[in-house]
Amino acid sequence: MRNPEDIFIRRQNRRSFLNRSAVGVGSLALASVLEPWLAPVQSAPNSKRTQKARRVIYLCMAGGPSHLETLDYKPKLAAMDGRPMPESYTKGQPIAQLQGRELKCMAPQHEFQTFGQSGQSLCSLFPNIGKIADEICIVRSFHTEQINHDPAHTFLNTGTSISGRPSMGSWLWYGLGSESENLPGFVVLTSLGKGGQGQPISSRQWHSGFLPSNFQGVQFHASGDPVHYVRPPAGVSQADQNRLVSAINALNRTRDEVVDDPEIATRIRQNEMAFRMQTSVPELMDLRGEPQHMLDLYGTDGADGSFASNCLLARRLAERGVRFIHLYHRSWDHHGDIKKNMRIAANEVDRASAALILDLKQRGMLEDTLVIWGGEFGRTPMAQGSGRDHHIRGFSLWLAGGGIQGGIHYGATDELGYKAVVNPFHVHDLHATMLHLFGIDHQRLTYRFQGRDFRLTDVHGNVVDKIFA
Amino acid sequence: MRDYFSFFGGRALPFVFFLFAVGTRAEAEEEIRFNRDVRPILSDKCYRCHGPDQNARRANLRLDAELEAKADRGGYFVIDLDNPSKSELWTRITTADEEERMPPLSSGKSLSEKEVRTLLRWMESGAKWEGHWAYAPPVRPSVPEVQSPSWRHNPVDRFIGARLEQEGLSHSAPADRRTLIRRVFLDLTGLPPSSEDVDRFVRDRGRFAFERVVDRLLASSHFGERMAVYWLDLVRYADTVGYHGDQPYSVWPYRDYVIGAFNRNMPFDQFTREQLAGDLLDHPTREQRVASGYNRLHMITAEGGAQEKEYLAKYAADRVRTTSSVWLGSTMGCAECHDHKFDPFTAKDFYSFAAFFADLKEKGFYGGNRWEPQMPLPSADQEREMTALEERITSLEATLSTSTELLVNAQLAWEDQIREQDEGGRLVWEPVAPSQVQSLEGASLRTLADRSVLAAGKNPEFDTYEAVIAAAERRVTAIRLEALTHPSLDGGSLSRGGGNFVLTNFKVEKTGEEGQSAEIVPIFRAEADFSQGGFDVSKAIDADEKSGWAVDGGKKKENRKAVFTFSDPVLLEEGEALKVTLAHRSSRKQHNIGRFRLSVISLERPGLQEIGLPAAVYQAALTAWADRGTEEQLLLTNYYRERSPLLDGARSLLSSARSNRDRLEREIPTMLVSQSVEPRLMRVLPRGNWMDDSGEVARPRFPAFLAGGLIAEEPLSRRHLAEWIGSKNNPLTARAFVNRLWKLYFGNGLSKVLDDLGSQGEWPTHPELLDWLAVEFMESSWNVKHMVRLLVTSQTYRQSSVAGARLKERDPLNRLYARQSAYRLDAEVVRDVALSVSGLRVDRLGGPSVKPYQPAGYYAQLNFPKREYQADSGADQYRRGLYTHWQRTFLHPSMKAFDAPSREECTAERTRSNTPLQSLALLNDPSYVEAARAFAERIASSEGNAEAKIRWAFHEAICRRPSASEVQILAELFAESQNRFAADEEAARQLTAVGQTPANSNLSPGELAAWTMVGRAILNLHETITRY
Repeated sequence: MRNPEDIFIRRQNRRSFLNRSAVGVGSLALASVLEPWLAPVQSAPNSKRTQKARRVIYLCMAGGPSHLETLDYKPKLAAMDGRPMPESYTKGQPIAQLQGRELKCMAPQHEFQTFGQSGQSLCSLFPNIGKIADEICIVRSFHTEQINHDPAHTFLNTGTSISGRPSMGSWLWYGLGSESENLPGFVVLTSLGKGGQGQPISSRQWHSGFLPSNFQGVQFHASGDPVHYVRPPAGVSQADQNRLVSAINALNRTRDEVVDDPEIATRIRQNEMAFRMQTSVPELMDLRGEPQHMLDLYGTDGADGSFASNCLLARRLAERGVRFIHLYHRSWDHHGDIKKNMRIAANEVDRASAALILDLKQRGMLEDTLVIWGGEFGRTPMAQGSGRDHHIRGFSLWLAGGGIQGGIHYGATDELGYKAVVNPFHVHDLHATMLHLFGIDHQRLTYRFQGRDFRLTDVHGNVVDKIFA
Repeated sequence: MRDYFSFFGGRALPFVFFLFAVGTRAEAEEEIRFNRDVRPILSDKCYRCHGPDQNARRANLRLDAELEAKADRGGYFVIDLDNPSKSELWTRITTADEEERMPPLSSGKSLSEKEVRTLLRWMESGAKWEGHWAYAPPVRPSVPEVQSPSWRHNPVDRFIGARLEQEGLSHSAPADRRTLIRRVFLDLTGLPPSSEDVDRFVRDRGRFAFERVVDRLLASSHFGERMAVYWLDLVRYADTVGYHGDQPYSVWPYRDYVIGAFNRNMPFDQFTREQLAGDLLDHPTREQRVASGYNRLHMITAEGGAQEKEYLAKYAADRVRTTSSVWLGSTMGCAECHDHKFDPFTAKDFYSFAAFFADLKEKGFYGGNRWEPQMPLPSADQEREMTALEERITSLEATLSTSTELLVNAQLAWEDQIREQDEGGRLVWEPVAPSQVQSLEGASLRTLADRSVLAAGKNPEFDTYEAVIAAAERRVTAIRLEALTHPSLDGGSLSRGGGNFVLTNFKVEKTGEEGQSAEIVPIFRAEADFSQGGFDVSKAIDADEKSGWAVDGGKKKENRKAVFTFSDPVLLEEGEALKVTLAHRSSRKQHNIGRFRLSVISLERPGLQEIGLPAAVYQAALTAWADRGTEEQLLLTNYYRERSPLLDGARSLLSSARSNRDRLEREIPTMLVSQSVEPRLMRVLPRGNWMDDSGEVARPRFPAFLAGGLIAEEPLSRRHLAEWIGSKNNPLTARAFVNRLWKLYFGNGLSKVLDDLGSQGEWPTHPELLDWLAVEFMESSWNVKHMVRLLVTSQTYRQSSVAGARLKERDPLNRLYARQSAYRLDAEVVRDVALSVSGLRVDRLGGPSVKPYQPAGYYAQLNFPKREYQADSGADQYRRGLYTHWQRTFLHPSMKAFDAPSREECTAERTRSNTPLQSLALLNDPSYVEAARAFAERIASSEGNAEAKIRWAFHEAICRRPSASEVQILAELFAESQNRFAADEEAARQLTAVGQTPANSNLSPGELAAWTMVGRAILNLHETITRY
């Protein structure tokens, strides 16, 4: 049921196909190919699992935030400050910029405190996230396989460092379709902070890879056209554009009567959708209608491209049925002066991250919105001058909503924060767990490419149900 | 020669094929064929655990090898030939017991009822086995007969026609001539025909009219451009490195090589050899070395912290994936971590294949964005200019090193001067305390005991200091400026602006003692003991007021000095002084020198040293001529020559010749090429883990099951690989290529998975035709144009693509070719059509990639360095789509919207999506708006009334005459737009001002805007961007 040929045939015989009962994800995926960008909500998966989440908001802390100054407090590391890192930890392990250097322990650079009724331990730089401590599940045993930024993001998004594979947002959109008639099912927003160097982010990170390219994430921009080419040319009003699109579609219909080409019918619908986007996207991006107390909650003055305003936009996107909303905040690559840079970066995200959770909750949307907060890797317990180097063997993230149990933590690193030793939680496990919350068996969501059935989780991945509500 | 049919089991092939999505086959009567019917089931459902990968194999059973599958397993058989229903396989796929049933539930796979039936019938009928079709050498089959007379001439038609007759289908009527010529133009050149092309063909009733068009197109240089679009996808050609900062690298000469090779119809085996091993051929030409750049087209990294070994492993794996996909249609990439699950490639094969490329000179991590090795590719003119410059430089260098009487005398005088000044105690930089010193911005400047001046108090953003130094009755040849650290400055550094300073201007005037009646003292040159990159001390005396001298003082807290030498010595009379101005006017705030000291000297052209000379030179000068050794003499002479005013002219000519040579070197295009060095040792990486050195050593070796006895010669090189791939002994190369050619002209491959001819690929719909074409290709000496001509002059190609309901239902995917296929144009061609119809297209073959308009800020996520996209102006703005700058991580949004791949990996088949983003691009991308406007100018100046103009426009773009209702729709759009823009001339002006070419001022803006709307409508039609 997943071959592009099937899709083509079904397009030719659309009605008969849609009348069939949809069973399992394959056919659902098919439905969303049929009607790109749209799959009707009422055909939710007929699977044994129950679907807890309907959308994801991924707050990617790009650059690799230190777990040791965010979510994973290590008193032993403080005691070892300045002393050599025991070789038993580091021998034979991959290492990035510290290649060939002397490895010394570096104490956590900021205090930790406990928050909420659950008594979660968080770095004191995050007082607002502390206020939602009872809503979040902190995972302290996350680990990945790629130690440089670009491949690490690719791995986190696609489950492999080889380019050309679909990102998780594309998989989810492909698998479940979108609930929005006027917006793409996978939207990306980026912001640039002042902490550390702004590592580049490739558009590969939201590419649909070998999936049909209509499942590509679409980047929305705070300045210029919010979506490329969404604005009619200068001198052309919406009425002009409407007249034009009507004429184009009238001509397309005339042609369709002669050649009976199903692609024309699709083209007509896409033109109509494009026309609707010319209104819906600017409307979405316009924050002037948000009340002042809402702007204050997030800590933004309006659509200024900051992480805070992107969080507010994320909520608006979620309200409008977008399936996967991916935010990147580029501020976390702290090779030097981590003490100062952590303060800067934390200040940029703390309030808005927490505001998003509170806002979703008060709207009753948190229960079916999975929020994930974390970077592509963590940072070494060892010093790199006044900073820390890239680190992949153990780091942290938090999740909230969408079927996740709040106020708990899962997994642990060793006493120096080097390696995930208790309940290691691999990137593949995150993917498997995430898909599970959407009622999808990660082993069944596949796509045939180059003769092989590919999965987001490749041949790995375990669903970690201990963190479920 | 081996009988073709014996390969398929010794019988003539039944011409009835199962068509998977269409249940029309009379299943029961049909014979089971292993390769067609059984292997696909075994491969997809069983090979994961019972296939070639020995590490994943369960129950010690493999079903991909006949002997093992049928072996006696100690009292029972998995496939029992005597008693089929006793076969273990039979039991395991029919049992109701979930625990016993195969494939197991946990695999996520299950057999359909039909698949079970197929396997049972196969066992019942003797379980006949066949080798995998694609791995046996292709043998030319006999060409079948067909009924239809017009289908008897071209072998392609006879294969296709015979099959259609078997299926009881008849072919479609030929496409009308307008559709056909547009189709063949787009297919062969990627460009639409002009109206004249269409009319000429429609009128030409000659028997070979179409063949003449085809020959013309094959001879056109646009043919190579069109073929390159496809080839560049395969080899993942792009203009940037792909990883991390995605910096540009220069590989476009390779793209031009590909275009040229197709245009000259280079035999495909040669094309193969040159790309894989052009550098290793005997006496490689420049072009062959460019071709070898193929090996360098993979993504590479310059990310700080990248581990050399890890990335070398990534590059090696990338080459295996790509090369096996491009030429062999094989997924060898699957054997990186383990033996291939479906095909007989082992992990050892993977690394042995990678070992062919281990001789390439390369790095894992390319620091400083220097991609090497680069080969310069000067044009003839550039080569001439370079020779002339080299000659000039040599001759000037000779002048500078040749002794003349004049020079010798001048040197003697200079030596006297040194001795005199030494005796007079003046051969030293003498610090001078300024008689007056002030900050123009109000900082307080205080002179310290060591005669240095310290800034304190107000810390201005951009300060200028003025100091007057009196050096009465003294000859001054230069001023030395020292920047000194001080505890009161930032962290004991050189400034109060973070430690660094930028001295943007150093000026000296001769004045009265009070600083009055100034006269500029020209400065000849500046030198310093240290300058930060990009902030050379010479920038303190250049004309640019923003540029200046800096010393990285934030990090390096060290004293610095600079010498500013006057063009002519200044003799200061009584009452005269020097006024020195130090300006700090860069963009960096508070980058003012915190503490400085000025010194003077009388020696001609002094150096930075305390005595104005290097100690050794000083010693030599004090030694009498006769007592000097040769080395001492040489040292003195060379030092003098470097500084002698007599040689100023020659030195300045030399320096400008050198800078011209540097400029030329930068202008000369370069190409990242292959260079062979001592091969690295390759090992099998267990589970693909680059940190694991425990695997066995892998030497260059062809995949064992494909190459048979070819392994004799040791050691093998890339050249051997290239020859083996491009040889007739290779069963895959020709098949992979003709299969893809077929796809280009018929919409699908004969075997539809274009990058997998292996077990998980598709059994071809027309296996005999595929093999016939493969043999024809090889026996025509790998003649690409011959093959293209063969395909497109067939009647199969010329059919109409419009199908009736019955045919559509019978063969929805058009795998039987009873009609042509219709599909959307490639991204590049969508652009080319708009440029062609508008008349904006600029034809220039090759050259550096070009930059069409692109939304501002699209590269905002890029870094190292940050960059701003500059759209090209002039002709390069209107070049064909294939020349578009290919930024791997941020491909041009319009190209991306129309499914152009990022070219990070080999792409054998682009997806063809149909999305709103495509509509937005066609509607609003300024390239298309401008094209519509330029098209509108052509429409407006065409003949007749509005309706006639609309007919003309429609025909220009789509090559057919519009129907009455089509004309009416456009006429209404025109009339309404006319009214609208007549009422709002400003809007009309705005719309017609989009793009770089100015609007035709002879037309009224309202009229032109209305026609622009018509142009936009036509360029947006599905038909315009579709090949029918």
